Amino acid sequence: MQIKPTKFLSTLFIFLFLFSCSENDNEELYVPAESPVNYDLEAFPYTKLSDYNMFDGGLKNQSPVLGVIPYQPISSLFTDYAKKKHFIWMPDNVSANYISDFEVLDFPVGTIIVKTFYYDNVLPTNSTQIIETRLLIKKTTGWIFSEYVWNSSQTEAFLDNSGSNINIEWLEEGVAKSNNYRIPSESECLTCHKKSNISTPIGVKPQNLNSTYSYSSGTVNQLQKLIQEGYLNNTDLSSVNSVIDWKDLSQPLELRARSYLDINCAHCHSDNTHCSYRPIRLSFKDTETSEDNIGICVIPDEDINSTLTHVVSPGRPERSVMSFRMNSINESTRMPLIGRNLVDDKAVTLINDWIDELTQVCN
Amino acid sequence: MKKITLIIILLFGLIVEAQNTCNTAVAVSSGITTVATIDGTDGVMLVCSGTGNATAAEWYTYTPTNNYTVTITTDLPINTSQDTRFHVYKGSCGSLVCHSGDDDSGAGFLSTATFNALSGVTYYVAFDNRWESNGFDFQLTEAVYVPPLVSFITTPITSTGSYRNCVVDMNGDYLDDIVAVSATNININYQQPSGVFTIENYTTDNADYLPSWSIAAGDINDDGYNDLMYGSGSGVTFMKANGDGTGYLEVSGPEYVFSQRTNFVDINNDGDLDAFVCHDVGPNQFYLNDGSGNLTHNQGGLGDAPSGGNYASLWTDYDNDGDIDLFISKCNGGGAAASARFNELFQNDGNGNYTDVSVASGLYDPIQTWSSAWGDYDNDGWMDVFVGASSFIDGSHKLMHNNQDGTFTDITAGTGIDTFLDTGIEHITHDFNNDGYLDVFSAGNKMLINNQDLTFTETTVGFSVGAVGDLNNDGFLDVFNSNGNWYRNEGNSNNWIKINTIGDISNPTGSNLNGIGTRIEIVSALGTQIRDVRSGDGFRHMSSLTAHFGLGSDTSITQITINWPSGIVDVINNPTINATINVTEGQTLSINDFLSEDILIYPNPSKDYIYFKNIDLQEGKLLIHNINGQRIFNFKTVENKVDIRALQLGTYILSFQKEQRLYQKKFIKK
Repeated sequence: MQIKPTKFLSTLFIFLFLFSCSENDNEELYVPAESPVNYDLEAFPYTKLSDYNMFDGGLKNQSPVLGVIPYQPISSLFTDYAKKKHFIWMPDNVSANYISDFEVLDFPVGTIIVKTFYYDNVLPTNSTQIIETRLLIKKTTGWIFSEYVWNSSQTEAFLDNSGSNINIEWLEEGVAKSNNYRIPSESECLTCHKKSNISTPIGVKPQNLNSTYSYSSGTVNQLQKLIQEGYLNNTDLSSVNSVIDWKDLSQPLELRARSYLDINCAHCHSDNTHCSYRPIRLSFKDTETSEDNIGICVIPDEDINSTLTHVVSPGRPERSVMSFRMNSINESTRMPLIGRNLVDDKAVTLINDWIDELTQVCN
Repeated sequence: MKKITLIIILLFGLIVEAQNTCNTAVAVSSGITTVATIDGTDGVMLVCSGTGNATAAEWYTYTPTNNYTVTITTDLPINTSQDTRFHVYKGSCGSLVCHSGDDDSGAGFLSTATFNALSGVTYYVAFDNRWESNGFDFQLTEAVYVPPLVSFITTPITSTGSYRNCVVDMNGDYLDDIVAVSATNININYQQPSGVFTIENYTTDNADYLPSWSIAAGDINDDGYNDLMYGSGSGVTFMKANGDGTGYLEVSGPEYVFSQRTNFVDINNDGDLDAFVCHDVGPNQFYLNDGSGNLTHNQGGLGDAPSGGNYASLWTDYDNDGDIDLFISKCNGGGAAASARFNELFQNDGNGNYTDVSVASGLYDPIQTWSSAWGDYDNDGWMDVFVGASSFIDGSHKLMHNNQDGTFTDITAGTGIDTFLDTGIEHITHDFNNDGYLDVFSAGNKMLINNQDLTFTETTVGFSVGAVGDLNNDGFLDVFNSNGNWYRNEGNSNNWIKINTIGDISNPTGSNLNGIGTRIEIVSALGTQIRDVRSGDGFRHMSSLTAHFGLGSDTSITQITINWPSGIVDVINNPTINATINVTEGQTLSINDFLSEDILIYPNPSKDYIYFKNIDLQEGKLLIHNINGQRIFNFKTVENKVDIRALQLGTYILSFQKEQRLYQKKFIKK
């Protein structure tokens, strides 16, 4: 049986705690011994977010309790400019297994993956407003989607898997924007979060986590942190082929484009996914060696308009379906298909710059 | 010497300047012409091919001395890697009319178009700078004149709205109108008998859901003004016309549905239009009409794959049993359950119960399709289906022929469908050349013209599938698509007839006012043709509710048979052709014209059987409706008694139609 470091430390803390109690002289040792998360797999999903007890103090502060580990994907999904906080939690005595750098970790039953969506500078008060918190919970039967919608007073979020909309206006880099923000229904969650029709997480694959994160205890590689916490079985991380942050302008255009497409598009454009009947394959791994996979000179199946000659027409963004769809706000031509109403302007610029740089000649 | 140089410079200068505008266009004939650079100040505002205006162009004229089939091309080795576009017009500068043109049909981004040019007519050719201003060569070739299979004129029309995808009569004058929708506006171009359009805008409450995926029209409260259904990615909105069609009431959701194809159709056969919406990521949803236009949401029983994959619903009577059945074109990614990927056919038993007969019919197929075109391609009186592929990954286009026994046979090989290699999401069928045989309008801006022998010839029309109707009431079907253009069918000498179906809403057993779901059959020398009146075919658009038939060179129609959803049948002999006829349900019948001693039904009330005296039921057809107008029984032939043991207690209306006489009588089941 594997001994988890946290368990060992917790035990040590308990010992010290008991010892120090008798001494009654050391406040610092008043540390919770075990993760206080309210774990009852049968009862999941709870009707209120607070029922899980994953956050300390005010729920809206999103300050994780012991065992709830924050993380940040290296390259992130565009969701109408909403900001996101990610957390992960696992029950005692279980850990995830590493499969490969490009596959989602093999998580144990009981794992909870948390993603909270919020906006800063929300008008008119210029305040922060949390919209929703999405939980992916691994039950014995597989992953379930649990959608918690925050109340206006930001004191609680309630389970609602039926989907809804909320109007929001905020300042994005000083510019007022507005959006009829979509909170997804369960079937919308599944549209993206599925492989071979089985629900699955998306972002938590080693190549998208292999970066440092500033924890309250210090800055550590996120995968190393999961190993330290006992959440991931020890594995050699030296060969992980990582994506880069697509917003990092110092990186090569192609690497930025591939990193963007990986997190924003690959959940549908991979084998056995929602749009796998279309020819492109957009995961970081699939685009590493194949120009066909990324759409270069690929003739589109769907004829949006006759001027769009290829999915990616080298040197000609205005002739490329990929650019057109990323720049569209029409539901039936935009890409990604769901999850956004607005255009990710910087990403369109990135993709156009990348296409401009290509010189292949299509047959 | 100097003079000569000066003259040469002047001439050269004149030529360079000359082709800069339409009015100074330079005449060309067959051969190669060099264009130095595209900088002519007359840009292109009337786009015949591709999208987007251009700020500059070079202009030429061509006036043939004989009729030719002409090809203009920039697809020449010298132009490799360049990007050209051109337009060919008729008419005169200031009032040009699109005739042809091309953007990318050549290699790479080069252009090639073949078109017919008539002796003595001047054609204007404009090469524009939509993509590049660089110079290039073009070649004009004259070949033997070949008449076109079908021909359309690109005609811009002032239709303003975010979604231009609907052609249907909106004001009850049986002339097709053009509808464009925005979040708070419905823009309608009303077709006038004079041939012009009158534009009206109706401000609406903000539509929670827009017709981003599809639109359907139908009159859900039978008031003579069509209502609209918008299918969006997260719900549906209904726009209900007020009593005179001058305003629309917005009613939305709240149910979540990732809409694909939407339809209005009488699902439960109670005489009222219901609304159906295909769900991309869940079981299909529908709204049942209480008879007053109030819609109640339902989900379940009409395609229940948990992960959806429902792209287009097409309602048709595939087994000719007098009730409407449902075909669903399906599409889904790899790894999806078969239920979400394989096309489905649901058979209506006549009582509103739908049974999945996909496998037995032979239509259970994993082909990735967003829509399929149902029509009788060989005029044998039974609906066939062109299953259109949106990707060839799980199978290519198929033509499935109706075996008249509930099954279909794949006859694709050798029909020309097998060599049709474009993929797309829209596949519809109409008779575009009025030759009496249904054509297919499909992907790649192409039509598949029916050769009248179950083979098809591909022809490029230069524009994509849109909403179809007759926008100038000339008996030839036009297309209106999201480019905002009316693609006006130039027609030919073939004959035609159009039929509007008007349900009898005064009779409790009557059909919906639009007559949606009606099967129309016409017989002429060339054979028997059939149409269904459908709200919502193809994937996205709403096309005319007027049934259109081409007649080829036939100069008369022996008989029109109208099989209403109610079960009643009207027959019209020797109608006027090259005209539109409006048929009201029951108009050809004499109701209760039987003498009282002719028919006697007994016992009444009854609890098990109803018996008949003085009539041979096998000489006609018998229908039973409940008191709410819902058809319960549709017997083609019965013995001389009717088993009513399965009916719930209550009052029913029995209808017996023998030829053009209709007998109706209430009875009570006890």
